[in-house]
Amino acid sequence: MRAVWPAARAAVRRRRLQTLVIWLVTLTSTGAIVVALGLVDSASAPFDRAFAKEHGPHVVAAFDPAKVSDAQLRQAARRSGAEAAAGPFAQAAVDIPADANRELTGAVTIVGRPGPGGPVDRVDLWAGRWADRPGEVVLNRQPDWSADALGKRIRLPSGTVLTIVGYGYEMSRTADAWVAPAQMAALRPTATQMLFRFTDASSQSRLRAELSTVTSELPKDALTASQTYLTLKEQIGATARAYAQYLMAFGFLGVVVAVLIVANVVSGAVISGFRHIGILKALGFTPGQVVAVYLTMVSVPAVVGCALGTLVGNVLARPFLRFVFTGPDAGMLHRSVGIAPWVNAVALLGMPAVCVAAALVPASRAHRLSAARAISAGTAPRAGRALGLQRALAGTRLPRSVSLGAGLPFARPGRSGLTLAAVVLGVATVTFATGLATTMTRFGETGDDYDVTVYAGRVSHGRIVEPEHGDRRLDAMLRALPGASKVTARGDVEALIAGSVQPVMFEGRRGDLPRLGDVLTEGRWNHGSGEVVASSAFLRRHGLRVGDRLVVAKGDRRERVTVVGETMETDGRLLVGDWPTFTALAPGEKPISYHVKLRDGADPAGYARAARALDPGLDPVVNGPNSSVETIIGSATLLTVMLAVVAALGVFNTVVLNTRDRRRDLGMLKSIGMTPRQVTVMTVTSMGVLGVIGSLLGVPLGIAGYDLVMPRMANAVDIVLPSSLTDVWRAGVLTLLALSGLAIAVLGAYLPARGAARLTVAEALHNE
Amino acid sequence: MVTDDSGGETVVRLDGVRKEYGGTTALDGVSLRIRAGEAVAVMGPSGCGKSTLLNMISGLDRPTDGTVVVHGEDVGKLSEKGLALYRRRRIGMIFQFFNLVDDLTALDNVALAAQLTGSPARQARRRALELFEELGIADRRNAYPAVLSGGERQRVAVARALMNRPALLLADEPTGALDSRAGEQVMDLLLDLNQIGQTLILVTHDEHLARRCASRLVLLADGRVAGEHTLEPSA
Repeated sequence: MRAVWPAARAAVRRRRLQTLVIWLVTLTSTGAIVVALGLVDSASAPFDRAFAKEHGPHVVAAFDPAKVSDAQLRQAARRSGAEAAAGPFAQAAVDIPADANRELTGAVTIVGRPGPGGPVDRVDLWAGRWADRPGEVVLNRQPDWSADALGKRIRLPSGTVLTIVGYGYEMSRTADAWVAPAQMAALRPTATQMLFRFTDASSQSRLRAELSTVTSELPKDALTASQTYLTLKEQIGATARAYAQYLMAFGFLGVVVAVLIVANVVSGAVISGFRHIGILKALGFTPGQVVAVYLTMVSVPAVVGCALGTLVGNVLARPFLRFVFTGPDAGMLHRSVGIAPWVNAVALLGMPAVCVAAALVPASRAHRLSAARAISAGTAPRAGRALGLQRALAGTRLPRSVSLGAGLPFARPGRSGLTLAAVVLGVATVTFATGLATTMTRFGETGDDYDVTVYAGRVSHGRIVEPEHGDRRLDAMLRALPGASKVTARGDVEALIAGSVQPVMFEGRRGDLPRLGDVLTEGRWNHGSGEVVASSAFLRRHGLRVGDRLVVAKGDRRERVTVVGETMETDGRLLVGDWPTFTALAPGEKPISYHVKLRDGADPAGYARAARALDPGLDPVVNGPNSSVETIIGSATLLTVMLAVVAALGVFNTVVLNTRDRRRDLGMLKSIGMTPRQVTVMTVTSMGVLGVIGSLLGVPLGIAGYDLVMPRMANAVDIVLPSSLTDVWRAGVLTLLALSGLAIAVLGAYLPARGAARLTVAEALHNE
Repeated sequence: MVTDDSGGETVVRLDGVRKEYGGTTALDGVSLRIRAGEAVAVMGPSGCGKSTLLNMISGLDRPTDGTVVVHGEDVGKLSEKGLALYRRRRIGMIFQFFNLVDDLTALDNVALAAQLTGSPARQARRRALELFEELGIADRRNAYPAVLSGGERQRVAVARALMNRPALLLADEPTGALDSRAGEQVMDLLLDLNQIGQTLILVTHDEHLARRCASRLVLLADGRVAGEHTLEPSA
């Protein structure tokens, strides 16, 4: 085999352009595959991975300390056969007024815990240290918070003062804050917390059965509350699941396009080398050695391309994944997502394997070919292909360069088929991404009915500064500011609906634009008192429909309302009514914010500055873009560009190979007077045909993908998309999409076509 | 067009033509006149510059130095498009290995030359068929190159070369890939063409072909004209 390496090295040197194409295609394809598979992997199981990393509890249980002792709980945990248990930890519920501090307010759960580690629920102590002594507290916050409150003190209503000594985070939300166990007596604990991991945690029923085993020998009613991780998973995973749908679609497209192109490039490289194969055989190379030369020739650039592509894919994917998994829900996952080792392994081993497999098919043909036949490849006349079509085209009124070009793809059906498949998928990707981006853009614009939100109340130096002026006065002042066009006040209050223990958020609106950009998916808007609109998630959660009546209660006040409409809103607690209904339910409540629509041309930032100057208790915020919408549009654009580039490279490669194959024909055509422009037209037309066919097939495929993915994305975040957001396929858009296939094909074909046009006839014909 | 001392029209005029490929000189100061209706054979050993000379005249390549004027056009000064139009209008080329498009029928291969100039398909095919009949291969018009014999392929190539009624027919080893019988047929064809006034330049190793078809022999050696002889028509 000593002769193989020099022959392969010489072949690589001689075919610089082809080597470059193989390298470039494997690099881009591998990069796309790493990004695509990485996204699919991260989107499909981010919660499970993060949860496993911190040994999260499958069940968080609270016991009544009056009925069961800590010793009994320890013994029960040991007996139960639970995989692991942590606790017992004393647990206190503390109600901290909003004006007491800005770090820890409302109804909070404080747990006495000796440290952040343990067999279950390992807390990530990301700033400061653990609370080792009484008087210290660690707050449960996501790591993207700032830790600048370290050292600050929190005064509890009981008079106890706690100093913030650390920030920790665990996704199971077993506590809002942790203190040293010795501190708990002063906080008057009302429950004892136990955390369990079970061997079989596959379903709610299995978890209930496991918990029953744990509590079977404990006093009756000792267990006061429990929550399984499945509820948490449902809640946290919603956003990630929304992303997962479209990321999986892109991932699938990316992998298929990349494999197709690599197969096309590599098999083309071997086929175009048949003559060289014949010469090697004539020199005495065995068929095995010939195959080895070709596999080496293809593998060298392919392996280098795959390695670099894997690197590029990792570099591109990491910031993108962090961006995707940022936010109030998925944000807690963003540190745990990344490119899984198996993705890199697949890219590094799988792609070279695809290349070798793609090369083996034509190489085995070369293996069987006699030296004489191989040598004559390209010079001896071969039986033509698609002859009937060529003949029909020759008789048309089309310019001959166009009709010749239109027939070319059919002369190499295998190669054209692979290229066409890549173009089809490229167009499908562009179509799918266009539909997705249009819907997401419209979705993002739904909240854009106002330009500035002016919050009543501003946090300054840890204290809330209330407005100096009253509600009506503020409303009038904001209306009077230059640029203001419409002002809508919004207030909300926590309430209950009869028959449910889950609190709801009743929102009252008053003013010029009470819809505030919300989108109605069913029914109508509320016209008067006693009518409400509810989010899709709210209706699903409470088993309600448009037209149903319900009673909303706040304290001893009750209001009977009718649901007249359903809005596209992800908040499952939200119920929206008019201001009189709101004040009837909560007479003392004032607006929490004023939403201001400005006149055309007015400067939102200038308005915000003017609003701030009106009253020190106002906090104006200019309405910015929707970050999750931008993330989806941005990522879809990035993936679309990558896949379109790979598809265009596939076309480029096909034209390069066809030009090489047809060098003799091109030389002859030029010798009988074909102008460079006609050569370019012919070559671009040959790929334009594939582009047109690709569009005809790819556009419907992309639309089908959109129809499949979009409802699932909406469903994952509990919304129903109205037709105004999903009706995206207009004639103009479809025409542009149809042209995208042509654009991919023409872009890929143009440079090699120009090269073919510049071919020196004498050189091309001299090869004979 | 110019008239030379002998009174004939000079169709091709080469003055001090030099062609270099990298460091290699293929032609070194070649000067030559070819009159209308003349049949000139260019001979010489391998590598002497015969094909390069033909490439210069046909506009397939450009000289490094010197001028090539054909029908009053300085070929070296033409743009790429100008060269294409020049080849289309003035030149007919016949190659040793025929250079037919495998995917087109014999008739469409020939019609192609006219269609590139913008002739409608029907008109181009009619003219091609006339040539097929003249060359005696009308019954093979719908065959594809792969099923044609070598002689038939070269006749198709000749028909294609004549399609646009070129002022100059250039043949590069036209019988080099043919057996002796097919070679004879092609020689007859070239002779007939010349006898009806077609200017012909042929590059060959075959002295028999040269004597049979040409009235003048140009000998090349090391890229220079080593001699010129008038040939007596052979029997």
